[in-house]
Amino acid sequence: MRPKQQRIVLAFSSTAAALEFESKAETAGFTGRLFPVPSSITAGCGLAWQESTEHSDALRLFLQEHDFGEVKWVEMLV
Amino acid sequence: MNHMVDARGKQCPIPVVETKKVLAQMNQEDQVTVWVDNEIAVQNLSKMAGQKNLQCESKQLADNHYEVVLAFSPAALNQKAEQAPVAAPKVAVPDKTVVVISSNTMGNGDDVLGASLMKSFLYALTEQDVLPAMILLYNGGAKLSAQQSPALEDLKLLQEQGVEILTCGACLNHYGLTEQLAVGSVTNMYSIVEHMMQATKIIRP
Repeated sequence: MRPKQQRIVLAFSSTAAALEFESKAETAGFTGRLFPVPSSITAGCGLAWQESTEHSDALRLFLQEHDFGEVKWVEMLV
Repeated sequence: MNHMVDARGKQCPIPVVETKKVLAQMNQEDQVTVWVDNEIAVQNLSKMAGQKNLQCESKQLADNHYEVVLAFSPAALNQKAEQAPVAAPKVAVPDKTVVVISSNTMGNGDDVLGASLMKSFLYALTEQDVLPAMILLYNGGAKLSAQQSPALEDLKLLQEQGVEILTCGACLNHYGLTEQLAVGSVTNMYSIVEHMMQATKIIRP
């Protein structure tokens, strides 16, 4: 079992948006990753991005600067 | 005493394994009756009997139902069953789930999506309470165990928790990644086939 850590989890409205986010976030230097969206956020299938809470401010700014559609921001243990 | 092994529904080599276990407990005058559901199992048992100098008779009882009787002597083989057969102890076969990954993408259609799905699969695998015994990587799957692979973190985590990670050496060589293996060890096709044959379950994402 993977050890749990408190993370910022971004859930996207579409897979395309998640993949686009991954591409741009990696280029921008974010160290998080895409992973299956936790079932506590949605019962459907989808991809989410998890990021260290240390990068909260930078992540908020990044989301303001780019349009990834509707993005749900959750902080949780993953 | 007439021992009984009902190995119907059991995959090779379980019928032979269970029969050997009973033979080890038998007296010289005992016999063991083995039920199997295919002719290959009958042949395997007959071959095993020949190797051990046992008496052996087989017959088909019905569709997918064969009986093989083994004993240490002709007299023991021909004895009439005077009491109900004693059921053989069940052999506990250890679970060996093997995950086989033949590509760095999961599914067909879009490779960008496929790469993401494969990463998600490995992530989800790390979340399981019961992990597989082994992950076999070949062809495009070999890229996952190389340096810079986006799946390295998850593969290393799985390895730390006891999952054996094996990557096809010929495949690493083909992709120029021989010196870049970053998790687990190199294997060959003989070993890959052997592990697949011994697996109780094969998962192929």
